[in-house]
Parts: sequence; structure tokens; C-alpha cells
Amino acid sequence: MDLNKIKTDYNEKINKAKNSAKLELIRIELLGRNGLINKLFTEIKTAPNPKEYGQQLNSLKNELENIIKEKSNNTINVDSKIENCKLKIVNSFGLPKVGHLHPITITERQLNEVFRKLGFSIYNSPEIVTNEYNFLRLNVPQNHPAMDMQDTIYIKQPQCLLRTQTSTIESYLLQQQSKNLPIRAAFPGCVYRNEKVNRSNHFVFHQYQAVVVDKGVTMKDLIGTMDLMFKTLYGPSVVVRYRCKYYPEVEPGVGPDMQCFNCKGKGCVLCKYAGWIEMGGSGMIHPKVLQMAGIDPKIYSGFAFGMGLDRWTMAENYITDIRTLMGGNLAYKPNEL
Amino acid sequence: MKIIYSHLKTFLPNLNVTPQKLRDDITMIGHFTNFYEEIEGEIVFDLDIKINRGDCLGYYGLARDLSVLYNIPLIIPETNLNSSNNNLPITVTSPDVTRVMCVKISNLKISPSPDWLVKFTKIHGVNSVNNIVDLTNYIMFMYGIPNHAFDATICGDHIIWETNNNKTKEFTTLDGTVLKLSSQNLVISNPSEVLSTDLVGGKKSGTYDNTTDIIIEVAIYNRVRIRLDSKELKTITEASTRLEKDLDPETIPLAFNELASQIIKLSGGHINSKTYDYYPNPISVPTIKYDFNSASQISGINISADFAKKTLTNLGCVIARNNNNSDEAISLVTPPPIRKDITIPEDLSEEIIRFYGYNNIPTNQPVTYKKTNNITPKILYLIEKTKDELVSQGYDEVITWPLIETPVDPKTVIRTENSINAEVIYLRQSLIPSLKNQLDQYSRYKLPNPKFFEIGKIYYQENGKYIEKYALGTYDGQEFKETILDDLVETLHATSLPYIPKVINNSAIELTSQIITLDANVNFTSPQDPLKLIEKYSAKINKNILWSMEITDIFENKYTFRVNYYNCDDKTAKKIHLSTFNLT
Ligand SMILES: [Zn+2]
Repeated sequence: MDLNKIKTDYNEKINKAKNSAKLELIRIELLGRNGLINKLFTEIKTAPNPKEYGQQLNSLKNELENIIKEKSNNTINVDSKIENCKLKIVNSFGLPKVGHLHPITITERQLNEVFRKLGFSIYNSPEIVTNEYNFLRLNVPQNHPAMDMQDTIYIKQPQCLLRTQTSTIESYLLQQQSKNLPIRAAFPGCVYRNEKVNRSNHFVFHQYQAVVVDKGVTMKDLIGTMDLMFKTLYGPSVVVRYRCKYYPEVEPGVGPDMQCFNCKGKGCVLCKYAGWIEMGGSGMIHPKVLQMAGIDPKIYSGFAFGMGLDRWTMAENYITDIRTLMGGNLAYKPNEL
Repeated sequence: MKIIYSHLKTFLPNLNVTPQKLRDDITMIGHFTNFYEEIEGEIVFDLDIKINRGDCLGYYGLARDLSVLYNIPLIIPETNLNSSNNNLPITVTSPDVTRVMCVKISNLKISPSPDWLVKFTKIHGVNSVNNIVDLTNYIMFMYGIPNHAFDATICGDHIIWETNNNKTKEFTTLDGTVLKLSSQNLVISNPSEVLSTDLVGGKKSGTYDNTTDIIIEVAIYNRVRIRLDSKELKTITEASTRLEKDLDPETIPLAFNELASQIIKLSGGHINSKTYDYYPNPISVPTIKYDFNSASQISGINISADFAKKTLTNLGCVIARNNNNSDEAISLVTPPPIRKDITIPEDLSEEIIRFYGYNNIPTNQPVTYKKTNNITPKILYLIEKTKDELVSQGYDEVITWPLIETPVDPKTVIRTENSINAEVIYLRQSLIPSLKNQLDQYSRYKLPNPKFFEIGKIYYQENGKYIEKYALGTYDGQEFKETILDDLVETLHATSLPYIPKVINNSAIELTSQIITLDANVNFTSPQDPLKLIEKYSAKINKNILWSMEITDIFENKYTFRVNYYNCDDKTAKKIHLSTFNLT
């Protein structure tokens, strides 16, 4: 590949980036783990003059890093959406200041509202749980990789842990309400994974799940309801496909994929050239899961779906670092008069 | 897993769809495929095979799915092997061997692999070694079952599958890595030494330029054993990722025959023993009582019983009438042994629905309103109400980390055992230390008038039990306070609940620079409308650097403005400030 051309092309791209979110996309495309530069490094071996090529590549990498750094120092950290809306100015003159809900709370409330209108309750359950509620009652067999140490934060191995998914709330819900059917419940919740904290990963995530148990619940109900939720969050023009996907707690399983908003399905760095972004998991509640909760799967069926809220909330607020969302330098501009 | 389009045609000669369509179709039936690319003239797909579909870690399993999807024949290459009367002295003493097939091939000639095979192994990320090693890899990728060729001159004919039982403590792999074996590990030995573990071969397990006689083996083991060995020896190989899945012992003969016949084809040897086949407990496949209306009932759309029957038959299921049941729709279905994931009626329904097409299920028919028992816990109403109340009083909501660095009370703190974020290993016992950190953060950025709250869990141990409670922490600009909401909710009257919260929109901002506060006194000749003044002056300032503007004082006709700037340096802020208010 022509390294000079890459340099001029990206120089121009970087200069055109209007805000830090766009700049970050370019940075990932170029310098991310699966980015162009790393890809070029893997090609060193096949270059006609590997040593020279390697040196050139290194200096290209440094140059581009510097250009991005410089640009980011001079780039405004807001987006066109905020630019376009009429700035509201606080006036402490006689009127009290109004505070702000956390962006995650706002997303949760948007979803709660959708489901409350459909007759759903909002539910919760403990965060410190046993492996029974986190795994076994969800039909995750004892030696499933999900039970491996690296994914789960344990309080006391192997019994006691911090829940890794909102499906754990489903375990409690089904058991506690098994004599109170039908069930319609939705639940936001924070969940834990043993992951190193960096700009795109955290040990605590926010998920949202909805569960229905009733007579004659179908995949059509599941897919229609999920689609309603996505349209509420992402707007009516969002394209979501529903495909076969495996999760131990459901059968059949359904995976919602959203058409990539960046490339409109053509394939780009953001969607790893799939054109689609995996949005979470869902399916018809596995008969064994119902049975373990004391619900007769011959009479009742149900669906469950869950999705992460952090990525969506970050995108909505143009936050590029997940640490900002939680205990970070998140602040709110004073708005209402 | 990588799949080369042209090699998929080995099993599906009639496959004829565009790569784009194939990628989308494979994804829809459950094997997520990001993209396809062209490598050395071959179209190559990259599939995400889920843990329940170990059969699809080979072309063969995937081809079975596609033959049903596209309704095209599945072709298994024909093999025609000679036999010999020579018995191989092989023994299996390990209880973890499900099935192993072996045969000796003699008078072969090791040579570099033909181009197609070199390309195949390379695309699959494996180095080409020689025709024999490359063929063993080829068969593993094609059939999804690991296998091996031992040099019979080096290893001898007496190969043993056994539990290590401290026979060997240190084992050196073919690439020179030293593994410390435990007594439970499954190993493949000859009477004098361990030749190979179940995951990776040893120094003497290779084939070399002068190799003429080999023993080939194709085997499946107890997958739990593989998982334990793989974790214990910290070894993950192409073989181990397959062997730890539920593989099909009935597929072994197909892979075995193909391996032997390809070896003879490429290296010119001949079969020099009887086929050894150890298979003490042939698998029994469960028979499932199945109602062919189930797929329609579960999916919510009409899928004919004919389609359902045809799909299951094409998948290799055997369908029989259920004589004990008068209901015509109920049948007995025996899935093919390779599909170990199919065990209950719902699994059969999923098969039928995924081949019928998930995309045929309408997306515009959500559940409609239905009154069900309200099971929302009171505490959630209290939380919602408290949040709205505090926001109306000017508090901003924050969320801090539930795991923290320093315990408040080391006696009752709950500690995590394996957190990889070594600096935060305790579950917080109070929100206040976290809120103090938040205040430090805001001070660093000189955020004007911070006033904020958090509602989150606090955790502690009491009488050997883990307790978690919702707490409310506030900072009102002067002091921190904490209230346990779970305790409060008990004292509230049920009638004050429930409460449906407002949906409020706002814009959160990532603080990246300090906020700079500047004042300005402006004299007018007559009284002014303060709101109009703010509108007028704020319009002059770039919105990207203006955090807020307020009038802090009015004395006669003198108005005092306080402006907060951000995203810019002191100098810029001053310059803009002076020109906005016409100050000199
Ligand atoms: Zn994309």
C-alpha cells in the first residue's frame, strides 16, 4: 500500500473532523487494535524490503498520532446536535436552578415508559447472587465457558458472585412470581464482568431486560415488542434484523442486529465490516428455565430479551469514554430557565 | 472459523449463491459472519460458531445446514480402502476416550504438499509442514475432528490411550514448550514414554522427511476432560477448541476414511493393518415426541406440517409414527447423532423456524396492553420519586463505581476474590467517599456551584450474610449526607405510591477542560429586561465555549454578569469576554 497516500488521505480526513466524536472514529479506524496501521504491520513480512517498510510505517504511525493529538487539543467536544439547539442560559436571578438526571437514568426511563404502557411492572433483585441464580437456573451447564473465572467477579468461589447479566433478575422474577401468572416485567440493572477498565470497557455495565410469561406467547410477540423498543430508542427509521442466535436460557433464540448507522449496511470499521451491529440477545424462555422456576411449560410460554444501555447512551450524548459515564468527568450544562 | 467457499463445494457441489447472499444466509440461520474476503483467489468467510454447534467447527457440519437451507444434495466423498490382516497392538485404558480409530499406512513418501493444500492450511492459519501433517489438518478443518499421524518407526505400533497417573511429570511439546502434567491428564503413549497429550503432540509425535510408516488416529474424548486439561495446562489449540465441544463419534469413520485415502493419494503408501476401532459405548440418540404444529405455535406464524417434516428429514432426522398416540400430528423424531444440541421439542421447532426463515416473522405486531398484577417493588417508586424531587431542587445525578479502593469498616466490608482491577476490590459501604471523589473531580475542572446526588447500592456483611441496600447520597454545596432508602421505604404509607416518573431530556457533557469564570459590570441609562440582556450577550459568544451566563447583581442601572467559559484557555476567554461586553 502507498504509505504517502494514506498520510495525505488521513491528514485531510482528520482536518475535516468537526468534533471529538468524529475524530475518535478516525482514530479507531487508523490506530485501533484492528485498525489500518496494525493491519499494515502484519504485512511487513511480505514487503519487498521489510526493514525499510517497517521504519516507514513506524514514522507514519507517529506522525498520524501527533496530527490526531494536535487536532484533538483544538477540537470542540460537542456535537452538531448541541450546536443546533438554541442554547438555554441559566438565570440565577430569582429562579432556582434545575438539576439533571444521569443519562443512564434517562435511557432507563424512556424504556420503562414504553413497557409501562404495555402493562409491565418494573422489577429488581439482588446484585450479590449465587451461581444458582446467575447460571444454573438459566440453563447454563456447570462447565460452560460463561462460568469461567475471567468473566465473573466472585465474592466467594464458586458459589457467590456479582450478577453478570440482567437474566439473573429474570431467575428471581420467575421463581418469585411463578404463582402470580401471567407476568409482564421489565428491569434495568447494573451487572458486573471481570474486565479491565479502559475507555471502552468497564467492570460494571447497565443492561435492560423485559420478560413476558403467559399462555400462547410467540416469537412474533417477542420480535414485535423488541422492534417497538428499538424504534423508541433509535427512531422509526432504524433497521433491525432478527436472526437465529444461541443462548442457553432460551429456545428458540433470537439475535437482534441493527443495521450499522455509520455505513448503512455496507461495512465499515465500526461494525467490523459486517454492516450490522449485534444489539443483545433474546428468545423464547427455555422450558427448563420455566420448569426450574415452578412454571409448567406445557401451559405457559414466555419471551425474554436483554440489551446493553451504555453504548447507546454514550452515543446519544457523544461521550467517547465509558469512564466518563460512571464516576467520571461527566457534567451538565445548566439548561432550563 | 474460516470457511473457503470452494472447499465448501466438496460437500455441496450444487452450491451456487453469491458470497454476499451466503454470508447473510449463514448469519440468519445462526452462524454470525462478519464479512468475506478474497485471499489468494479464494473467497473466505469468517464465522462465529456458537458453543452449542461443535459440529459446525468443520465444513461438513456447516454443509449439512446449507444443504437443508438451499435444498441441495450433501455429497460425502467416496473412499475405497484396501485392508490388511495385520492387527495393531493398540490399547485404550483411559475412561475418557469416546472413540478412536487407527490404521497403519506403510511405504509412503513424505513430500511438500501440493499448492491447493498449502493454500488451504495457510488460509486456516496453520503453517504447511509436509503432505501428511497438512492432510491431518485438512481433515480436522473439513470434518471438525482432530486427528494425528504418528511415525510408526519412531513410536512403534503399540500406542496407548491412558491416564497419565504420574507416568510423566514434564512433557515437551513439538514446539519445545514444557508442560507440567498432572496425574489426571489424558495422554497418548507407547510402552516407554508419553508421545502426546490430548491437546498437543510431543517431540516424538512428528513426521519427518524420512518417515515411511505412520499410524493415523482420529479420536473423540470426554469433553469435560479436555476442558480441564486445557485449563490446567493453559493450552488452547485448534484441537482443544473442537474436542471440548460435543463432537459426533459417528462422524469419525467419514473423517478417518477420507484421511487414509487422501494420504494414499498424495504419498503413495498402502494400508498395512486392520482398522482399529475402539467405541465401547455407541451413543444413543434420544427420541423426541414431537407435534408438527409446534413450530407454528412457537413462531406465531403458519408453518405447514409438510415443511416441518421435510426440513427435519433433510436434516437427517428419522421420523416415525407414534403408535401410542391417536393424535396424527404427534410423531417420534430421532435427530441425527451429529446434532447433539437437539434434545427437546423446542430444539426441533427452532430448526424448522430457522430454515423457514426468521425474517418471515412480522416485526410490527408487539404485545398489546394487558392488565397484569403490578409487582413493582415500592423501593423503585421511592427511588424514582426521590430522583425527580432532587432534580427539581437543582441536584445533578451522578453514578460512581460500586467497587472501591478503601473500606470504611474493614470488619464488615465485602471483598471480591478475583477482580482484575486490583486497585478496586471492595464493595462500597457508603456512597459518601465516592461522592467526595466526584467533588474533587468537579473542583479540578472548577465547575461552578456543584450540587449532586447518587442513588445506588451499598454493601456489607452481617451475621455471615451479604447485605445490600439502596442508599441516597447528596452533596448540597456544603456537606455530604447519606440516607438508606430501603429503611425509609418501610415507614412510608402505601398510598403515597405508586409514582410514575417524568421522562426528562438533557445533554450530558464530557468535561475536558477547566471552566473559567469571568464577571462583567455593565452600566445602562435605564432599567433593562435581564432575560433580554442574557439573550443579547450570549448570542455574541460561540456556543461551543459558553458554559453558562447569569446576572448575579443589579444595582440601580448597573448589571453584573457572571459568565462561565469552557473548552478554551484563559487568554481566549478573556479576549472574548472583553469584546462581548465592550470592556477595555
Ligand atoms: Zn458499519
